Formats: sequence, C-alpha cells, structure tokens
Amino acid sequence: MNFRKTFKFSITAAALILGVGTANAFVCSVSDATMAKPGGFPERALTMIVPYGPAGGSGQVAAGMAEAVTSLTGVSINRDHKPGGSGTLGMAAYIAMPADGYNVMEHIDDASSAHALDSGQPNPASDLIPLVTSQVTFSQIYIRTNETRFSDWASFSAWVSAQNGKATIANVSKEGSMERVTMKFVTEAAGIKIQQISFDKGAPRYGALLGGQVDALFEQPGDVRNFLDSGDFKPILTIFNERPSVFSDVPTHKDVGMTFEPLLRFRGFFVHKNAPADRVAWLKWAFQRGYCEDSYQKFNDSKYMSVIDSYRDTDGSIALINSTVKQYRAVYKEMGLELK
Amino acid sequence: MIEHFLAGSATLFGDPFTIGVFIFGVLGGMLFGAIPGVSMLTLCAILLPFTAQLTASQGVMLFAVIYCTGTYGGAITAILFNIPGAPENAPTAFDGYPMTQQGKAGKAVGAAVLCSAIGGVASAIVMMAATEPLAKWAIRNIGPPEIFALVFFGLAVASSVGGKTMWKGWMSVLLGLLIATIGQDPVGGINRYNFGFADLAAGIAFVPSILGFFAVSEIFVQAEKKAMGKFTAPKVGLSFPTFAEIWFHKIAVVRSILVGFFCGILPGIGATLAAFMGYGEAVRWSKDKTSFGKGNIEGVISSETANNAATGAAMIPLLALGLPGGALTAMMVAVFQMHDLEPGPLVFYNSPDLIWVVFAAMFYANLCILFIGLLETKTILHLLKVPFQFLAPLILLLASIGSYIGRGLVLDVMVMFGAGIIGFLLRRSGYSIPGIVLGIILGKIGEQNFAQGMQMVHYDLLTYLSRPVCLILIIAGSLTLLSGIYKAVSTSLNSKA
Repeated sequence: MNFRKTFKFSITAAALILGVGTANAFVCSVSDATMAKPGGFPERALTMIVPYGPAGGSGQVAAGMAEAVTSLTGVSINRDHKPGGSGTLGMAAYIAMPADGYNVMEHIDDASSAHALDSGQPNPASDLIPLVTSQVTFSQIYIRTNETRFSDWASFSAWVSAQNGKATIANVSKEGSMERVTMKFVTEAAGIKIQQISFDKGAPRYGALLGGQVDALFEQPGDVRNFLDSGDFKPILTIFNERPSVFSDVPTHKDVGMTFEPLLRFRGFFVHKNAPADRVAWLKWAFQRGYCEDSYQKFNDSKYMSVIDSYRDTDGSIALINSTVKQYRAVYKEMGLELK
Repeated sequence: MIEHFLAGSATLFGDPFTIGVFIFGVLGGMLFGAIPGVSMLTLCAILLPFTAQLTASQGVMLFAVIYCTGTYGGAITAILFNIPGAPENAPTAFDGYPMTQQGKAGKAVGAAVLCSAIGGVASAIVMMAATEPLAKWAIRNIGPPEIFALVFFGLAVASSVGGKTMWKGWMSVLLGLLIATIGQDPVGGINRYNFGFADLAAGIAFVPSILGFFAVSEIFVQAEKKAMGKFTAPKVGLSFPTFAEIWFHKIAVVRSILVGFFCGILPGIGATLAAFMGYGEAVRWSKDKTSFGKGNIEGVISSETANNAATGAAMIPLLALGLPGGALTAMMVAVFQMHDLEPGPLVFYNSPDLIWVVFAAMFYANLCILFIGLLETKTILHLLKVPFQFLAPLILLLASIGSYIGRGLVLDVMVMFGAGIIGFLLRRSGYSIPGIVLGIILGKIGEQNFAQGMQMVHYDLLTYLSRPVCLILIIAGSLTLLSGIYKAVSTSLNSKA
C-alpha cells in the first residue's frame, strides 16, 4: 500500500505544521516575566486533572509543569489522577468540572486520536483551549545491546522476515493507538510481519525486552533513558524525519526507505473553552512561561524532550492537534476502521 | 553483605533526622494502610513533592518503609470490621473476620502481626542477599504466559472458599470473572459492557467492589439480624496466638514466603496477587478445605505472610533493573528522578549507600511491625466494643469515602453499594463472597496476561504448553479442578443414594 497517496504532506508543510526538526539552543518564547492576576485570579489552588497514573510519562510531566508554575506564580496546583480508558475517563471527568479557570487538564496525543476515531469524543483543539504543549517526541525501535541474532535495522528486518511472522515487539498496541498505527506503517514499508504484544504498563513492557520475552521494543527515548544509559537497550531505528544529534548513528525510517510521515507523541495542558477569557490569558502565560523555568527545562532535558522542539503555544498546539487528527483519520480509513 | 547491612544501619540510625523520617514512615504507613480508601499510596502521593527536600536515601527509604508497614496496616480493619484496607488485605478478611465473629479477634490480629513481620523480614533478607541475580532470573524465565498459568493454578482452588457447595463456589468465581471483563479489554482497548458510559470504560475498580462485597454486605447482614432481634455483638477476644499455634502452621508460613516472594519479584504484579496466591495455596494443601472462609487462622497466616513477603521482592526488579512492580514502587521511581537518579543496575555502582540504607530500613520496618503491632493490638481490639448502631454508619461513611477517593467518581460509590446489595443477597443463598472477589482480582490479572501470552505464542496452544513452567502449572491446576469436580459429583451422587 502506498501511503504517500494518503498523506500528501510535503516535508516543508509537515515541518511547518508539526514543528518537525531538531531543536536549537533553548530560547524562551514568552518575554513577560510577570503578569498581573486578573481580578485576583487565582486566589486559591488550581486543580489539574491527569488522565494517567502518577508514575508514567503523563504523571511526570504534570508534576514537572505544576512545580514550574507554582515556583513562577506561587499558586499551588493539586494533581488529580484519573487513569483509565486510555485517557477517556480523565477527559470525561474534566469536561464535567466547572469552567471557572481553576480546573486545568494534562493530556496527550491519545485525546487527538480518540477524537479522530470517534468525533463524539472532545476535540482538544476546539472543545478545549490548549495552554501549552510542553513535550513533543519521536519513537524508536530498540533491541537488547547484548542481542546476538541481529545488531542493527538491516539485520533485524532480515531476521524478522525469516521468522515468518513469529518475531515479536512490545508496545502499547491498542486499537487506533499511535503505536499500532506507526507499526503498521513500518511493517508495510519494510515488507515484514511482526507480532505486536501490547503491554499497558511500562515495567512489564521493558522487562519483556530485558528478559528476552520479546525480540524488540517500540518506545519513546525519554521513557527508556535509564536503559539506554545503563547500556541494556540500543535503538536501531528512529521514526523521525531527520537524525537527532544524540542518536546520530541510528538511521531514521526515511534513511531506510520508508516515506510515511511520523506520528509524534505529545503532551500538553488545557483549559475549558468557556472559561473566562481574562483567566485563560493568565493561565496561558503561566503555563507557557512555566515551560521556560529552569526546573522544567531540566526535566525535559532528562527525558530527551529537548532533542526536538517540544514547545507549542496555543496556536501551535491547535495546529499540531488539527494536523494529527487529520492524519489519524486518513490512517483509520486506510485501516478499515469505522469512523464515528 | 553483613558489613554493607551494618553500614546501612549506621547511616540510618546515625542521624536524628533520618531516624525521624524512618519513624514517620513506619507509623504513617500503618495508619494509612489501616484506613480504607486512604491507602499507603495516598500517603506517598501527598509526600512525593516533599521528598525533594530530603536526600535521595531518605526519600527512597521513606517510601520503602511505608510500603512495608502499609501492607500490614490494612489487615487490622480487614480482621475487625471486614474492611480490607487495600486489595492485598482482602484474603485476610476471608478468615480474619469470621474469627472476630467467633471471639478470636486477638488471635487473628496477633497472627497477622507476627506473620507480616516474618514474611517481611524473610523477604528483606533474601532481597539483601541476591537482588541482582533474582531479578535477572525472573524476567528471563517468567513472562505473561507463565503469569496466566499461575493465575489459573490459583483460581483452580477458588471454588473451595466460602461457598455452600462447590457449584455455588464456582458460580461465585465465574461472577467475579464476568465483573472483571467490564471496561476496556486490556490488550486491544475495546470497550466491553460499558453501555456508552465513559466512567465504565475504565472498568470496575478493586477497592469499591471489595468494600461493597465485604463491608457493606456485612453491615446489611448484621442490620437484618438486629432488626430480627438475633444480633449478638462479637466477643472481644484478647488472647494472642501461642508460639505453638504459629509453629503448627510453619509449613504454611514458609510456603507463603516463597509464593509471596515469587509474585513480588515479577514486574507489574506485586502484593495483591501474592496475598491471593498465598491464600489459595493454603486452601490447596489443607486437609480441611471447607474450613477456609469460616475462620481458619491459616488463611490469615498465609495471606499476611505472602503480601509482606512481596514487599521486599518488589524492590528487586525496581532496584536491579529499574522495573517497578506496582503503583508504590512506580512512585519510588519519581523519588529517584527528583534526585537525578534512575533505579537500575547503575544505582548499585553509583549509589551503594542509598541501596543499603533502604535495605536496612526495610528490615527494621518489618521488625517494627512486630513490636508496634503487638503493642497496639490490645488497644485496637477495644474498638469492637463500639455498639453496632454507631459502628455501622461510621463504617459506611469510611467505605464511601474510601470508594470515592481512589478515582473521584460517584460511580465507584454506586458500585460499592451495588456490590453490597448483591453480596447480601448472594450470601443468603450460600454463594461465596471471597470467590467473587478472587474472580474479580485474578480475572483482571489473568485476562491481561492470557491475551499477551497468546500473542507471544501466536495463538498456538502447543507452543504455549511447550513452556515448562506453563505446562506444569496448567496440568497441576487442571488436576485440582478435576479432582474437585469429581469429589463434588461423588458427594452429590452419594447423598441422592
């Protein structure tokens, strides 16, 4: 199947829309170091709905941003984790909360793909107001460093082909997920068959590769940084349009002849669409400036989140979400999934 | 190992502030573990931001200590009021609460204190001796197919617990398994039985269902007795188990240590499965299976030994490989990261002091369970003297808060009351509440691992059974199942003749 027909993004257009490209030295985009509180808002702590558990990527970015905003503004943020249903539970809970600006939400690209599959699910670009997107990252395929059967993408794909569909890769392959869609791109482009094993929790997923229960792992580099640092895992394929400098020796999917546009993992913060405008303006400032705080930048660095430009303001976030929804809808149609 | 342990002990007790953190962790874990709903996880979530002000050793040690004592704390309310403080204490209630009703609360709580300490100390010692090789062995040899086989093996005896007949026991387990399927399937993310409600897509949570089936249904049962004039308050039994009584169950203790340790060492499994498996094995090897669920002290011993044995074991994949075994160990990862550390093989080389302070603290925390537990038990037992008309509303209030606080959903409170009503009606008909709870908890773990396991073997059962551990556990589970059915059919035929 030729995905170029489906995705007519030019590299330039995609770069403009998705901000695709490795990051330069960090420069804060918000010049105002302070902003007056509109009508005294907020005069009490904010509540942040986090639709995943505290220890995963979402929980960590929520904690990192909450710390940065509190340090910047002195306003406390209580994080309320509502995991379940691939983020739909947290989204439903958030929508039902008062739209007074005191309630904000963290969410990831799952909200965009859920809306793409079912338009009854809230569109994060139009049913909510994005305050900031603070993490944008790419995915990679990893193998064990001490693996003897293959050592790089070429030998891995040759080995997988020889297994006649019996090779395995660990990921989060729920229907319509970024992981499953990307793996569909990869396997079709490479002409290989590989059994995807879905692990919804990180520890069993990484343990499956470490222990040799699976042959490879699909993941984002920030989530497996400790295994990369310890030398247990090594990336063999970067699914991104250009080689990030820290992974300069790892081929990208484009390098190995795949032409699809990569789907990115992104995490950001939102507020209700009908929250008072002056409060929304203050929240945008607080979260966008919070991104610039040293503590947040240090956190993002530790997660490889500064390898490519992770920052999107409100307009940038809307563009990112809209393009992602469009991209997923096209893919879902190709996959034969019923769009609602 | 001993010199490292002594060095860790010296660091732990050489600084007054570190001692203060340790004591806070011991007492906080016990308290939060004992109150339904506000579990040790709640305490750790509250404390997480403050650990940035502590050293890395103090922060990780604090969470490790809370893990040990919090796992024990939930046993008290499980035994006295049929309210497990956390899912890993649910099997303790199976026999602990009937013991309370029989005036043996002191023996049940005493057994829980002693066996929690034994399980925890034993697992701490093994953890200190062989963290790295054990972690590597576990992830190489035990994957989703083996975990499913383990769950199947455990479920094979579930019908024996608490039901009037084996058939009613099985119906109860199957109801639990059915409830476990509500929500998104664990692999494909397909919604099942959620009827369009987003809240149900996340499934039925453990805590509200356990509180409903145990605590609320019990209140309805007692209220009915009160209304009928048949209510008798439980006698406050202050006598502790004797050394001879515990020694009599020494095999159960050793078996539960092994079972608990094995479950704890598996990434993503943890103390809940350990407690249920420990309990299940006690039933399997007992000569009097029908006594379980009716006040057999071996049920309390097995469950509490196993869940605390899992605490030390759960630290092994975390520290050796960076793989957290459950929610609390996952929070420990955040504590490491706050101090620019990552748990995993490098931490043994980069921060050996931290590792040994944590190991020493977990060892002493388990000893503290013994001493503080025995000191507090007699005081706690007097709670049973509170009249039912005051105690029942308080339990309902605590259970409602406990159900709501986990996910902040009114649905969970409704589930709790629904489970309470269903539990009340099923108990009158001789169905097994422990069987239902076993089905819910093991069903969720088992389904996920079955689906992953089948994907790994490409849906080929022969390949599945070619894995030796799977083959042994499936055969053993099947034999248990068949022998139970054979006995039930024989009994049924004999009674008709």
